[in-house]
Amino acid sequence: MTNGTQGGPEVLENLKLELRRGCLIVAVLAQLRTEQYGYTLRKALADDGLAIDEGTLYPLLRRLETQGLLVSQWREEDKRNKRFYHLSPVGEQTLTQLLEEWQNINQSLNKILQEASL
Amino acid sequence: MTNPSSRNMELIDRYLQAVRFWLPRTHRQEDLLAELGEDLRSQIDDKENELGHPLDKAEMSEILKRCGSPMMVAGRLGPQRHLIGPALFPIYEFVLKMVLFWILVPVFIFIVGPVNVANSGGNWGLAAANTLGNLWSGLFIAAGIVTLVFAVIERTNAHLGAECKWDPLKLPPVRREERKPSLLKALCELGFGFFGLIWLLLLPQYPVLILGPAAAFLKAGPMLHTFYLPIVLLSIAALLRSAITLARPQWTWFPPLSQLLHTVLTLIVLNYMIQAIGKTPSAYPFVVLQDAVRESRKYFQLAGIVNVSILVSVASAWLGVCIAAVVQTWQFMRYLRKRTSGAQRTASIGAQ
Repeated sequence: MTNGTQGGPEVLENLKLELRRGCLIVAVLAQLRTEQYGYTLRKALADDGLAIDEGTLYPLLRRLETQGLLVSQWREEDKRNKRFYHLSPVGEQTLTQLLEEWQNINQSLNKILQEASL
Repeated sequence: MTNPSSRNMELIDRYLQAVRFWLPRTHRQEDLLAELGEDLRSQIDDKENELGHPLDKAEMSEILKRCGSPMMVAGRLGPQRHLIGPALFPIYEFVLKMVLFWILVPVFIFIVGPVNVANSGGNWGLAAANTLGNLWSGLFIAAGIVTLVFAVIERTNAHLGAECKWDPLKLPPVRREERKPSLLKALCELGFGFFGLIWLLLLPQYPVLILGPAAAFLKAGPMLHTFYLPIVLLSIAALLRSAITLARPQWTWFPPLSQLLHTVLTLIVLNYMIQAIGKTPSAYPFVVLQDAVRESRKYFQLAGIVNVSILVSVASAWLGVCIAAVVQTWQFMRYLRKRTSGAQRTASIGAQ
């Protein structure tokens, strides 16, 4: 029996969004191990199945830069000014730690799921 | 004819101008717009390479529509803006409720309202309208001040210090479940109420019961005669209340509600009494001298002292009843809230 007040596609969408939020940061940091500008970064993420819109990506890049995890510079390429981003040394350390954490979470989750299926 | 490429660039500039309008004017504004513009131009380049021709109006429009309306894009690009953040919001909500519903509303009902009634010269409608008008603006002003204070705390991060200082050992003890009304308490109330009513009914014939030896030279004044019946009725109501509490202990809603109603009725009677005292021409509204000692100066002074004492008692009673009304309103609301949350809990357990 359910109480019928919650659930449905809206809740699922919100949960998926929450799940994606943390993963996106790791994905952006991982992509920026090689220098990229905003559009190519967005494209690379979308090609790998993590589409992200402009309104989410650019504030995220600013935040990560303010936190010292990224460095950026405006540079001309193909006669156009583009802002290129790449990981800072602190960002590289943080990414390594985040990936370790990701592995731990993944292992724990797999363990929980295996126990639940027994 | 305009070159499609320059027309597309112009459309992007118009789009960025519209986004700029909604973006807060910070040092980051131009930086963000430049980056967004570059993203859009790269999208156009990619699309043109894919299609092999410059984009037409419909294709351009599709790219910009996918990006979102200027207002929405500015909202997402701009800084996160909230007056009071999630960390502070629960306490803000608590304080706001406290100030508006547990302080301001009772103050208006039990203090400002009666004062307005007393000053309106018996025009209840005007007094009620004035009180409601004052309450309405008071609520807005108080809500504004509370919100402003919390917004300042949010901006200055003053709450972070308090967050670190809390001590788990100082948490309040677990509250016990609400018990049914006590049988002994209801019995005592019924007994005392009964004897109180008898005492009250005997007073007109035996004033010595209240005045003691002073009954030899004092008798009830006009005010006591006028308000004798309402006081008796209030006593009967209290007696009935105790009897019903005793007979229907399962009516857990009855004691707090009836207590509150009784208090409100008492307050109304006291208000009328205070108004009547203000209007009476007599300096001795409660007790007057017996005819036999009317000329005695000594008893005259004594009657004055007794009247002033009763007046102070009435004023104190009014204040006490006001406080009781606030407390009982709070208790009744708490009872209702518990009942509602209890019902919801039962429903959710049943639904599982």
